[in-house]
Amino acid sequence: MGAIIGPRVIDAGTSLLSVLISPVPVAAGYPSPAQDYFDGRIDLNEHLIKDITSTYVVRVSGDSMEGAGISDGDELIVNRALTPVDGSVVVAVLDGELTIKRLRITRNGVVLQAENLAYPDIRVPSLSELVVWGVATRCLHVV
Amino acid sequence: MARPAPMRQLPQIAHVDVNCFYASAERAFNPALEGRPVVVLSNNDGCAVTRSPEAKRLGIALGEPWFKLAPRAREWGLVALSSNYELYGDISARVMELLGRFSAWLEVYSIDEAFLGVKGTPAELLELGGQMKTAVRRNVGVPVCVGIAPTKTLAKLANKWAKNNPAFDGVCHWESVPAAARERLMRSLSVIEIWGVATRLTKRLNALGIYSILDLARADPVMIRDRFSVVMMRTVLELQGTPCIPLEEERIGRDQLIFSRSFSAPLTSAAGFRQVLSVYGQQASARLSRHGLQAKLLTAFAGTSHFNARDVSFPTVSVVLPMPTADPVILTRAAHALLPRIVDGVKYAKAGIMVTDLRPTGNQAPLSPFENPHEERHIGSLVEDITRRYGRGSIGLGFGGIRGGPDWSMRRDMLSPRYTTHWDELPLVKAA
Repeated sequence: MGAIIGPRVIDAGTSLLSVLISPVPVAAGYPSPAQDYFDGRIDLNEHLIKDITSTYVVRVSGDSMEGAGISDGDELIVNRALTPVDGSVVVAVLDGELTIKRLRITRNGVVLQAENLAYPDIRVPSLSELVVWGVATRCLHVV
Repeated sequence: MARPAPMRQLPQIAHVDVNCFYASAERAFNPALEGRPVVVLSNNDGCAVTRSPEAKRLGIALGEPWFKLAPRAREWGLVALSSNYELYGDISARVMELLGRFSAWLEVYSIDEAFLGVKGTPAELLELGGQMKTAVRRNVGVPVCVGIAPTKTLAKLANKWAKNNPAFDGVCHWESVPAAARERLMRSLSVIEIWGVATRLTKRLNALGIYSILDLARADPVMIRDRFSVVMMRTVLELQGTPCIPLEEERIGRDQLIFSRSFSAPLTSAAGFRQVLSVYGQQASARLSRHGLQAKLLTAFAGTSHFNARDVSFPTVSVVLPMPTADPVILTRAAHALLPRIVDGVKYAKAGIMVTDLRPTGNQAPLSPFENPHEERHIGSLVEDITRRYGRGSIGLGFGGIRGGPDWSMRRDMLSPRYTTHWDELPLVKAA
């Protein structure tokens, strides 16, 4: 079974395409009793990403956030559209670098904290001087 | 009881575009570039195609070749980057998706600009423009300006104004600006500054006493049509506030896809072209399947450099495909129809393929003898999956299966990471 189709080549003498056709099998049999209940597999994008336009994935370099369960090499899901609040884990711009910190907004001022005693807190004069790149919403950690 | 007069709510056009798009996309992931002069180079790191404002202030011209800039880059603190198309494409898609939430009436005009149909009182329109600007900056991370006016041509002009005059804070609603100020602006700008007026026509316009945009706006549309064209007449009417260029929600570019590149080193043999065309065939296939489209016609072409007067050769061939298809095997074979026309020994500088006569997949089932044998095997989507997972060049059909980078592929020596499309190139955040 088969047929050869010769396509037309405009402005060229010879037929350069040829396609061999084979018969296509038709599926037959009983439908699965489960198929009426299937409404799609779990889609991680759907659960981990609230807004695709504002969500980026970044990779952690360093151990200063160990206390928050964020380790060197982990990936973070970061939403730029969220408003950072006291306690948010934020990606902030410090000295031209994207840096991950815990944001503390208290009566005594704004502080960027590491979650590792080896790293000191960074005091920010005011919230308006802090450039928050995004708010981390999830950490992907290899177990 | 007297009711308040109804607010004027004529439909208007918002023109939104990203400031220095490529440079802004780079800065979104590399804040160290903020405040520094940045240029993004064209294919093969040829010349500056995007300049940050700091680079413009250094006097770097658009299109200035990199080899001229390179010796002074260190002294200037100039950062040059290769075009990171993967990044720009994704950022563009995010911007457009976000803008689409502000109006169902969206025309993506180019990678970094869009027209939107909007409605409201002048105050509401200004508010809306501000919201778009803030949302794109905040969500996606790139700065935009917005121009809003009754016509596309005026919206583009308003946008340009917003970009150049900080007093607008990035959003200009044309009709909210006093008429005298608008006239002053239009008088100060040459006709070549207006969207849709070709540079070559300026001399003829000047001969009629039309120098500024204001001169053109005050010209008689009928005279302009008779002396020039309907196209130019539309521009005049649009400048006068009469919408003549409708929003095209279906992009014109959707009717055809073009894959074309200049080579970093000239190709001189049919064997080299076999590989190049295979890669384009597969890229076309991937793009078509992503958009749920099939093509009916494929055109393959090649050309020598315009700077090379000897051995001029511009072979081209069009192939009617046996059925509408997105199949990489068929597209690649069709593209290979160009091979017999390649003259051995001639130095070709570029090649490309174009697929046209596009239609949605599965619109009409072909009669079984005409069914495409490959479509069933989902080769196209398989190749795309693997490419997405393991990177471009990890799998390919036949001669397009390229390991170790063929020598004709584009030179991008100063490429930033493909931050948003490749798992092993994600932006790094410091935890220290």
